[in-house]
Amino acid sequence: MKKQAKDKLVFWLFLAPALISFIVVVILPFFMGLYYSMTDWTAIAGVKPNWVGLNNYKSMFSNLAFQYSFIRTFIFTLISVISINLVSLTFAFLVTREIKFKNFYRAGFFVPNLIGGLVLGYIWQFIFKSVIPAIGGLFGINFLEELLLLADPTLTLFGLILAFTWQYAGYIMMIYVAALLNVPQELLEASEIDGANFWQKLWNITIPMIAQAFTITSFLTLVTSFKQYDIIVALTNGGPTDIYQGTVVNSTELLAMHIYNVAFKYNNMAEGQARAIIFFLVLSVVSIAQVYYNKKKEVEM
Amino acid sequence: MANVKISNLNKKYPNGFHAVKDVNLEIIDKEFMILVGPSGCGKTTTLRMIAGLEEITSGEMQIGDQIVNDVSPKDRNIAMVFQNYALYPHMTVYDNMAFGLKLKKTPKAEIDERITKAARILDIEVLLKRKPKQLSGGQRQRVALGRAIVRKPEVFLMDEPLSNLDAKLRVQMRAELIKLHNDLKTTFIYVTHDQTEAMTMGTRICVMNNGLVQQVADPRTIYNSPANLFVAGFIGAPQMNFFPGRIVDGKFVEVEDHTFKLSEKMMKAVKEKGKESAEVTVGIRPEDIKISNSQEGISAKVEVTELLGSDLNVYFKIGQRSYILKTEAASGIKLGDDIYTVFDSEKLHLFDLETEESLVY
Repeated sequence: MKKQAKDKLVFWLFLAPALISFIVVVILPFFMGLYYSMTDWTAIAGVKPNWVGLNNYKSMFSNLAFQYSFIRTFIFTLISVISINLVSLTFAFLVTREIKFKNFYRAGFFVPNLIGGLVLGYIWQFIFKSVIPAIGGLFGINFLEELLLLADPTLTLFGLILAFTWQYAGYIMMIYVAALLNVPQELLEASEIDGANFWQKLWNITIPMIAQAFTITSFLTLVTSFKQYDIIVALTNGGPTDIYQGTVVNSTELLAMHIYNVAFKYNNMAEGQARAIIFFLVLSVVSIAQVYYNKKKEVEM
Repeated sequence: MANVKISNLNKKYPNGFHAVKDVNLEIIDKEFMILVGPSGCGKTTTLRMIAGLEEITSGEMQIGDQIVNDVSPKDRNIAMVFQNYALYPHMTVYDNMAFGLKLKKTPKAEIDERITKAARILDIEVLLKRKPKQLSGGQRQRVALGRAIVRKPEVFLMDEPLSNLDAKLRVQMRAELIKLHNDLKTTFIYVTHDQTEAMTMGTRICVMNNGLVQQVADPRTIYNSPANLFVAGFIGAPQMNFFPGRIVDGKFVEVEDHTFKLSEKMMKAVKEKGKESAEVTVGIRPEDIKISNSQEGISAKVEVTELLGSDLNVYFKIGQRSYILKTEAASGIKLGDDIYTVFDSEKLHLFDLETEESLVY
């Protein structure tokens, strides 16, 4: 065998395991899903799915529960992205300063990320249901004692955001820490001599210099918020109920959970599949737009 | 007026390192002061304390009439050029230069005017719209200078600004900096480890070592009468020759088998210090050793020669000891030649064996 031909064979041999598993578990299911989304498939053995064309897609957009879930997901994502990034950037600033025990703090902020979403959800359920009212009772603060964060449809979303921020901020902080440590000290000193105060330095030098980190962190927080599922299952399981345009809906049933419920709880596999496809498309467009926009802001040294 | 007066300045780092020890230095208005020394000698730390980037452990720092120990960098009326230029990579050249002025809320027309003027002086007018990434090292250096100039500071601080440039550009920028200093008529404080830069550019030079000031004087004095062994060895290339000797009768110095008569000035100094028969370190600059045409002088063997265009460095051996001399390239001395050397006894330097201080200083 010629050397070139041999190299080619080795190349494909090494690539094959990854390529085959990618095709089998990602590409094939995706196209099968696309097919099932245009049938009335229910996953019951022996029942053949019938072709229904775009019916599942048409009904989806007039479905109020889906609309509601979509809007709530967007609100959740928007606020989560902002709150996680603000919190993690603040943490990152704190732990990159010359403070005592900074490694301890770094580790401490990171730990929540190691706790699984389900466990974390139950922890926060306990905090919201028992700890906060107990603290309110102890100090005689009526507001806290009567605060039922998980019973009010508006507040519950913020309870979720709080728990999610607590879980994810430490991880995002690590990315910011790495970026902040890469900002040349000379630039900050030069701007100091140029007369910049703390906020001017932050806005004019530090933020532009860590633009690359923003691309990554925005992407990660955006996608993860959009797909959030496990914390919600443990913390609220979709509840409490809310009224949307005269229909009863679950106030924290965000898209991932909504799709799961439609498919498995109500056994409308095909409908759920159609919604998952739309979910995928929307998330792709939003995240590609975000990366494109952030990339343009990056600084080349 | 922008005198910079440093009194009993100390810098101790939390890890116990004492970087700057009791430095006293007065930099006169419009002077080009060079802080020079090997790396780790405390020169950059001193400069950074003048800039306000480094906290002062003890001592006093005065710029103009104001004691600035607790004044932040932006209120010290200084500008600094950094070793790696520290240009803001996300801003154009124009914005880099305008940044400080914008922060001070300077009117736009004035910013424009100052930048145009500085750009003309530095010959970077065509680069104003570019980003630092698109510039060569020399151009970046000019922009960094421009950023300092537009602020019209009372004191310019420069931290090894030429060390990242190639040799040819460095020589060129050296001349331009001297010219710039003449044009701007402002105080320059310049840190370098390169003694050539120090010698060629400075009005005065402050030689530092181990956090201590060794000598402050104009270049000629530093070169001709170094205060101690360190200054003598650090300034001048090739390095001064050092060898042990013994003073005899306060009139001669004996080196191995040879005796040199001391100059009048030296004899006086030796007498004053009571070193009429002391062991000393003798120093002589390479250019003060001549090659004799006849067979007078001390015979020596050439070990290595270095041709530097017009000059020739000759490394030679007398007995077991190596020396270096500098002569004209035209002399045509080659490796392995036997030569006769004449040490100019008028130009000898004598240093105390223990304190390493010069006896005449």
